[in-house]
Amino acid sequence: MNQITHEGKLKHYRISQAEYEKICSMLGRPPEGVEWALFSALWSEHCSYKSSKIHLKKFGKTLNQTVVNAEGENAGVVDLGQGERVVFKMESHNHPSFIEPYQGAATGVGGILRDIFTMGARPIGLADYLCFGNIEADRMKTLVEGVVKGISGYGNSVGVPTVTGQTNFDPAYNKNILVNAMAVGLLRPNEKVSLSAAKGPGNCVVYVGAKTGKDGVHGAAMASESFDENSEAKKPNVQIGDPYFEKLLIESCFEVLQKNLVVAIQDMGAAGITSSSFEMSSKGQVGMMIQLDQVPVRDSSIQPEEILLSESQERMLLVCEPQKFSELSQVFEKWGLDAVIIGEVIAERKVKLYWKGHCLTSIDPDLLVEKAPVYERPYHAWKSQNQTEKIHSNLQPKDYISQLISYLGSTHGTARDYICSQYDQRVGLMTARGADHDVAILRLPDSKRGLGMTVGCRPSVMKCDAQLGGFDSVFYPALQMAAKGIKTLAITDCLNFGNPEKPEIMSEFVAAVEAIRDASLILDAPVVSGNVSFYNETLGQNIISTPATGLIGLRETVAQIPEDQFQKIGSQVYLLSSVSAKMLSPYFENKKSWIGKIEPQKTGQFIQKIQKLSLLTSVLSTQAVGRGGLGVSLARMCRPGFGFQSFIEMSVADLITETFYEVIFEVDHDAQHDFETKLKAENIDYKILGKVTERTFNLSQEIHVDLLRVNQAQNKGLGGFIENLA
Amino acid sequence: MKKIGVVRFPGSNCDRDVFQYVQDHQYQAEYLWHLDQFNIHDYEGIILPGGFSYGDYLRAGALSARSPVMKSVADFAQKGRPVLGICNGFQVLVETHILPGALVQNSGLKFIDGWVNLKFENQSTFWAQKESQKNIRLPIAHGEGRFYAPQAELEKIEDCGQVWLRYESNPNGSLNDIAGVLNRTKNVAGLMPHPERAYADWMGGIDGWSFL
Repeated sequence: MNQITHEGKLKHYRISQAEYEKICSMLGRPPEGVEWALFSALWSEHCSYKSSKIHLKKFGKTLNQTVVNAEGENAGVVDLGQGERVVFKMESHNHPSFIEPYQGAATGVGGILRDIFTMGARPIGLADYLCFGNIEADRMKTLVEGVVKGISGYGNSVGVPTVTGQTNFDPAYNKNILVNAMAVGLLRPNEKVSLSAAKGPGNCVVYVGAKTGKDGVHGAAMASESFDENSEAKKPNVQIGDPYFEKLLIESCFEVLQKNLVVAIQDMGAAGITSSSFEMSSKGQVGMMIQLDQVPVRDSSIQPEEILLSESQERMLLVCEPQKFSELSQVFEKWGLDAVIIGEVIAERKVKLYWKGHCLTSIDPDLLVEKAPVYERPYHAWKSQNQTEKIHSNLQPKDYISQLISYLGSTHGTARDYICSQYDQRVGLMTARGADHDVAILRLPDSKRGLGMTVGCRPSVMKCDAQLGGFDSVFYPALQMAAKGIKTLAITDCLNFGNPEKPEIMSEFVAAVEAIRDASLILDAPVVSGNVSFYNETLGQNIISTPATGLIGLRETVAQIPEDQFQKIGSQVYLLSSVSAKMLSPYFENKKSWIGKIEPQKTGQFIQKIQKLSLLTSVLSTQAVGRGGLGVSLARMCRPGFGFQSFIEMSVADLITETFYEVIFEVDHDAQHDFETKLKAENIDYKILGKVTERTFNLSQEIHVDLLRVNQAQNKGLGGFIENLA
Repeated sequence: MKKIGVVRFPGSNCDRDVFQYVQDHQYQAEYLWHLDQFNIHDYEGIILPGGFSYGDYLRAGALSARSPVMKSVADFAQKGRPVLGICNGFQVLVETHILPGALVQNSGLKFIDGWVNLKFENQSTFWAQKESQKNIRLPIAHGEGRFYAPQAELEKIEDCGQVWLRYESNPNGSLNDIAGVLNRTKNVAGLMPHPERAYADWMGGIDGWSFL
């Protein structure tokens, strides 16, 4: 091979020279034919986690006795007790969504759902975590509309409610939006976890689901690259989803799993049939013989390499005993799906790929899976950033009011209503609290307990300091859950970062991972699954490092959950505090600085106390102080007929400070004494801020506004947002 | 125990919810598969649940309307027995012409999820019988829920007392704010809102309980 074609080949398959040399030494010869494609896919960042693996191992420490079957599977299974178990995971589909927003987002949902039901768990809830650029930026309206429509089109149709989520807007995402989706699946008592390790030489390897086409070829490698001005040309790499097929796949897979017809099962996700066959073999310490010409295809001109790399959606690979195949195929036939034997499990630890009688390769699956390269990318120990001695604001009271009103009506304030009104929130009959609430709560059908679900990570905090932001990605959503009486049980993450080959990005990555691990240890809520998305950069411009998280938790009942908004005229409004750090809200003061320090232990204890207090029946509504600071949080608790009257003078600086952490409690007036006794007993710092009133929104003598204006801003904002998009 | 049949098309996604709803009402629930006809004497009533039957390809409900099970449903309805279509089930009943009118894309061109206030206009001979209250609140979740009929047909629907439910505030552009209709004999009813999603306090409302 001459020099030019060799370099061209490396570039085409996105394999580095060093990796090429490693392949040659492992094989004892240069790679040939389809082997290039295999290494390209399975050694891609997307499939191999080569830059993140050594750091992700740190999450292993967080596992506790509630986590079962974590080893090597798509996600750890969290035991909720009483026979109920939960599987959940979050994944990114950033690159495809930026290129083709509808299909990119839709297939992101499809993919994460398959990750869940491949483990035998019925998906019961979805969440989205979205970061868009400035709404005025080029293509942004199309992206917002397309992404939301894609998630809604897919989730609604497969019949899984989208019950919570978060949306952020920042110019840092103008050229690289983030579309992360989390799916939660439930294993009811007596339902078995299904595994992906192939077993039993002589067993059939069965392909089920949609036919294979040329869509998504090289998708995994695409997701492992930065964007340039030619991104548009990558459109054919984006997969096309069909939620109808997914629904049939879900029902049929459950049926064969329940009938005990399956030895092992795995979805065909990134790198399609290649990753599923090699990973199933590697995990099961067996081999597989696969006849690629038996794979059902949409296009007869498709080549073996394309079959191997196709990311056509709604496909599963499973292993079944030969004598059970006919019963198994009858189930799939009933649901109108193909189930085709494409190979068999062999004892020899080789994956042998055949095409029309020719052996294309015979290769040890471990070389591609276990022995994939692992990189320790350079990074430096974290030094806190943007930490200052003092924060102060020059914002005048009268300007604050007008800025508050415009914030409430802005995309930051209202986009979520526009988005979640397009999601089916109640299909499945478990939704006790849907996406119109801070935290979603699903009622488990057997134990009748409440399963809390939420997502976290505030890019505005990450922008300040990656360590503070990393802790906050766990603590803030855990506090939001605690304020509804939910104890956080487990965490998943989706780590969206720029180019890991840049030490400053890698340093942020390591700082965030370690912060998430430490927060998880303090809350005794293990990190059970996750996903890494690197190379979120376009033309050298990195996104804000965004370690999105998903949390689940439990409360004993779904009765008497504190509401998000004020409930009773005359009740007392408290502010409960355990503040270790503060920053001015970037929505009001464009300064990137924070004061104080991170005190994880103290925060962990505060969260625990808040969770217990929130179970008191006298607590009518609660809200963790968040985006925009105390003023915005109080305004968000208002609704028509329920305003706020302050008892103390709050300064503009008090109102626009985002604190780590404070929670607002509305407590029944009659229970005031009891409540304060409890606060003192628990040793919690508190202030009585004011009371719930009928007409006004009054924060101080200078800062007040008619309640109607607050209500109008909230409503008008929603309409305005839609109009803007139209 | 009296039995209610719950029709299952590929792509139905409220089938399990309706099954549960039926069981919680102390009826025996039984799935009816789209490819099979059934003995109409075996059932007290039939419910067609929501979802995206056959992926809503062509038009919502259009393909399901041609499935074998619908022959039995039509027969059952013809005999004056109770049939209820919820959301996609309503679309299927309209596509089979067991119920009048058509359901087209929402005027806002988007899927909408939320709660709506509704008013009963006329009574069905079986569904939502026990309820004396006229105003109720139920969740909706649909992309193609805008009720439509040509003017003459619409007038006939109104004149014959076939309007079952009306929206208090129209979410989707339905003509005459129609949320649900009845057949002439009022044993068949269809509605876009989901009564099976609102029959316990924790669901956010209980007005759906009285539909069965």
